[in-house]
Amino acid sequence: MNGLPLAPTNVVDLVGSGLVIFFSFMSLVYANFLVRLQPRNFIWGFLFYFCIAITAFSISRGIGHILRIFLVLGGEEELWQLISPWSGGFNTLFMISVSSAIIYYHKGLEAYKAVRSEAEKLAEANRKLAETADELQKVNTYLEDMVEERTRELSKSEKKFRHFFENSKDMVYFCDINGNITDINQSGLKMLGVDKPSKQLNLLSFFKNDGDLDRYLLGLGENGFVSDFETEMESRDGSIRNILLSANAIFDKEGFIVGCEGIAKDMTRLRTMTDQLIRQEKMASVGQMAAGVAHEINTPLGVILGYTQLMMDDFDKDSEVYENLGIIERQTKACRKIVADLLKFSRQTGSAKVEVDLNELIEEVLTVSEHNLNISHIRVVRRFGPGLPPIIGDAEKLRQVFINLLNNSHHAMADGGEISLTTAHDQASGEIIASVQDTGSGIAEEIKSKIFDPFFTTKEVGQGTGLGLSVTYGIIRDHGGSITVESPVQDQETGQRRQGTAFHVRLPVAVEQKALNEEK
Amino acid sequence: MNCLTRILTIPSIILLLLQSGEAWALQPHGGGEGLYVHQMAHFFFMITLTYLYLHTRRTQDPASRGWRYLRVFCVLFFFWNLMAIIGHETALHLPSDHFINAGTWRERLAPPLSTLKVVYFFSKMDHFLMVPALLALFFSLRSFYREAREDAAQ
Repeated sequence: MNGLPLAPTNVVDLVGSGLVIFFSFMSLVYANFLVRLQPRNFIWGFLFYFCIAITAFSISRGIGHILRIFLVLGGEEELWQLISPWSGGFNTLFMISVSSAIIYYHKGLEAYKAVRSEAEKLAEANRKLAETADELQKVNTYLEDMVEERTRELSKSEKKFRHFFENSKDMVYFCDINGNITDINQSGLKMLGVDKPSKQLNLLSFFKNDGDLDRYLLGLGENGFVSDFETEMESRDGSIRNILLSANAIFDKEGFIVGCEGIAKDMTRLRTMTDQLIRQEKMASVGQMAAGVAHEINTPLGVILGYTQLMMDDFDKDSEVYENLGIIERQTKACRKIVADLLKFSRQTGSAKVEVDLNELIEEVLTVSEHNLNISHIRVVRRFGPGLPPIIGDAEKLRQVFINLLNNSHHAMADGGEISLTTAHDQASGEIIASVQDTGSGIAEEIKSKIFDPFFTTKEVGQGTGLGLSVTYGIIRDHGGSITVESPVQDQETGQRRQGTAFHVRLPVAVEQKALNEEK
Repeated sequence: MNCLTRILTIPSIILLLLQSGEAWALQPHGGGEGLYVHQMAHFFFMITLTYLYLHTRRTQDPASRGWRYLRVFCVLFFFWNLMAIIGHETALHLPSDHFINAGTWRERLAPPLSTLKVVYFFSKMDHFLMVPALLALFFSLRSFYREAREDAAQ
């Protein structure tokens, strides 16, 4: 037996050393990739230094083994003996280095984990912070959208109510606790006769009656509201308006009234129309009654007058009996005149209607009356509209209309004044408007609705029968027209309201009258 | 320190360190000390590899291929160290007359063969452990890199 050959061990040593160097170097390359990929990862850092030590050890050991084989087998045994301690020393040194790297792995890993844990906590905190910020952003965005939406709705609502407020034909107002108007629409200003809003505008000052004002304030104070409250308000221009008012009190957090808000409707026109209707109905019934009474009285009066005149023929004119009979005759005639007037009022008298020029007719009346008026220092002003179309009417009765109106004006101006007679053609309504306007004492509001009533008079007993305006009313109505009274009056030149009375007579022109008759 | 001084000082220090003719320490160190230190280094290496194996098995993801390869490396390298220690020890007990044609490709262990000689022979084949160990290390690092790259991509 030749012993055990060591050549295979040398071959394995040679090839193995090369492979060890190669694989250790490749490991180092991948460790380097890892460190470059994630520089802050401690484990990759450890593996990198571990691979450096392993590679250094592999190179040291591999080169040592290869050198040994080549030097010893090449006959350079002495050189190898010189290098061998260095090779072994480096091998030992790098082995210890690898071991040291492993020992510090534990502590390093703990430190890395601690840092990593803190970093993860920090990252988690940052993530939560980001989520919270994101949530806040969403909430903020949602809030912004919501605010925008609500603002849009609010704007729409405000626009709607502002439109209602501005364009309402009724007065819409807001007041403070003292009744000072804080906001009011244009209709309200117009209703109160005010041109523009003022800080000093107080709603309570427009109440005409103190009793109404007390009831209004009481209603707000006790109930917190007033509903369908009817009152009269006196506007800045002096006109009286019938108002239907609904208002609510405004309370503060403590429940104290701090103001009120309300809506007021002007019922004046409706009230006027209602009054006119009532008056017309009343006039119609009074006229019927008057006609009945007049007919019944007229006959006995005729008998009394006839017998009185017969008896007067039987007595001497200078006798006392004759004088007494004369008194009976005069009073009976006065009674008959009253009866005749009543019949005129109730349209029970016949009439001959022809085409009449109203300007000429009024001029004829003035021819008779102007002299007396001038004596009483009353100036007559004519404002006749030129080219008036004729009307169909009873000239005699129409003369009496204007005589009555002039007499009324005359009596209202005991100390003199001015009477304006105005005529005009209202083409829109197809009527002639004749106005008799004076500067007299005017007519009190309370009696306006009674002035056309039969036997209503403000004159002293014996100075008037109270039938003048009743007859006038009856004649005008008989002609298909209307008569209205205005007091105080609006000055035609200045537009301001002033004391006085104006009667406005409206009569249909001839064409319209003919059509009316044909319809009848 | 100027440039000339540096040029003179640094080579002088290197020459002193490379001078191995005499030990300059207070305590003298013989040649056998080197072997002891080397063996202790192997032993120290085995301990640290054991620690690394146990620690990674306990703390790291068992499903990770990289850590599995690293633990394979630890096991193989552990046994390589053991083999190296044994190899160094057996070499001490084989005098030069146990070798025939020493220093040539025809070198042989002289008969008769003993257990010591057989152990010595196989310990000289330590690359059969070391090469797979480093191959495992290479696979480990490559797996780590691939996993890390996938994580980074995600």
